[in-house]
Amino acid sequence: MTDETRSRDPHTLAGAYALDAIDHDTDRLRFEHHLARCAECAQELRGLVETAARLGQAAAVEPPAALRERVMAEIGQVRQLPPLLLPGSSGPGPSPFTRWWPRLAAGLAAACLIAAVALGAVLIQTRDQLEQARAGNRQIAAVLAAPDARTVTGSGVDGHGATGTVVVSRSQGRLVFASSGLAALPDGKTYQLWEITSGRMRSAGLLRPDASGAIPPVVAAGAGRADQVGLTVEPAGGSAQPTTRPLLLLDLRTA
Amino acid sequence: MRAKRALRLAGGRGPGTARESPEDGSGPEELLERVARGDRAAFEHLYDLVAGPVYGLVLRVLRDPAQSEEVAQEVLVEIWRSAARYERGRGSAMSWVMTIAHRRAVDRVRTAQSAVDREDRVARLEVRRPFDEVAESVEGRLERERLRRCLDGLTELQRESVTFAYYGGYSYREVSELLKVPLATVKTRMRDGLIRMRDCMGVER
Repeated sequence: MTDETRSRDPHTLAGAYALDAIDHDTDRLRFEHHLARCAECAQELRGLVETAARLGQAAAVEPPAALRERVMAEIGQVRQLPPLLLPGSSGPGPSPFTRWWPRLAAGLAAACLIAAVALGAVLIQTRDQLEQARAGNRQIAAVLAAPDARTVTGSGVDGHGATGTVVVSRSQGRLVFASSGLAALPDGKTYQLWEITSGRMRSAGLLRPDASGAIPPVVAAGAGRADQVGLTVEPAGGSAQPTTRPLLLLDLRTA
Repeated sequence: MRAKRALRLAGGRGPGTARESPEDGSGPEELLERVARGDRAAFEHLYDLVAGPVYGLVLRVLRDPAQSEEVAQEVLVEIWRSAARYERGRGSAMSWVMTIAHRRAVDRVRTAQSAVDREDRVARLEVRRPFDEVAESVEGRLERERLRRCLDGLTELQRESVTFAYYGGYSYREVSELLKVPLATVKTRMRDGLIRMRDCMGVER
């Protein structure tokens, strides 16, 4: 019954969408699909999003001073994304829709549609990022909840201050890795995680600690047979094989 | 000092002025465009404008200060990271920032609560009435009065649908369950409630 109601008029979801109150992916995708084809809806949504933002601004609270320092420290290690180049975007120069597509005449419907598609694409892209995060969380949860999940914790090789924890599930073929006490690396260096199986090293990805030196849990596939997990410092972009001694080495065979 | 300025700018302006950027290139839109080119000084200015609203909104949704600080940090770094994805033609910089902040906060709520029993959630929701708390923490007096007046102009169902969703981080299904109102009605109230707020607050479209 509710599905029927939803499909009948996705337009009514504009308010819920602007309030991030749609927790159902199917609903959201259906609305975004609708949005990409309905310039009027995209325009309405924009006003509603702006209104919601005003509610948000009204909640302003002075943030802790330490937040500023942490943010400023962290951005030094964060690569910025390039602009999104969309087919149909207006490119450099003044956009025809400066400020909120304000007084668009009905005759501008075609231009409006392009902007609607672009807006839809941006919304979907943001959603993709959220979906990726959610998918990651689900994978982590699956490993942690697996009946054969085993935990290995170790501290740094050679008295290095880092500690690491691996939860491995052979049945899931995945492991979850988290670490803390890692030093911030200079530009041009990165942490790289390795899975070691019968002496063969396989990269499990590049990792960047947060401002507190911690790597939040990440999931790595292919852990069905891994004997060990190691963490090394590598040149930015990572290496095909480790070029430095591991600062963390966790033995999964005992797990 | 910096934060005070942020609060004043965030809360104390009249309708429409959010997008009247100063000539000196220090409006949020100009700053964001400079940030997109890697300008750290511009980011520090932008931080002063948005950190209060971002932290306040995340705190309102999550309640837990430590967690809110963490999420606010993620949001502010995300602004730095994806500044080039902002396009002025698509809306105000402030709205872009607040959208990121709200989504992150809500996502955190939904991840954290996914394991919690629905009944528990509704029971807890019952004791918090976001609207009453709005007035306590809004810093900009004019904006606060305007917001209160506009919220007062909504029907009770519109007001509860909008505020439970936005400040409470609840989905329309949860709001429907809480208020014992059909889903279709909640969706409609969220939309017409926001439309009425938009018109009342003089939000540019």
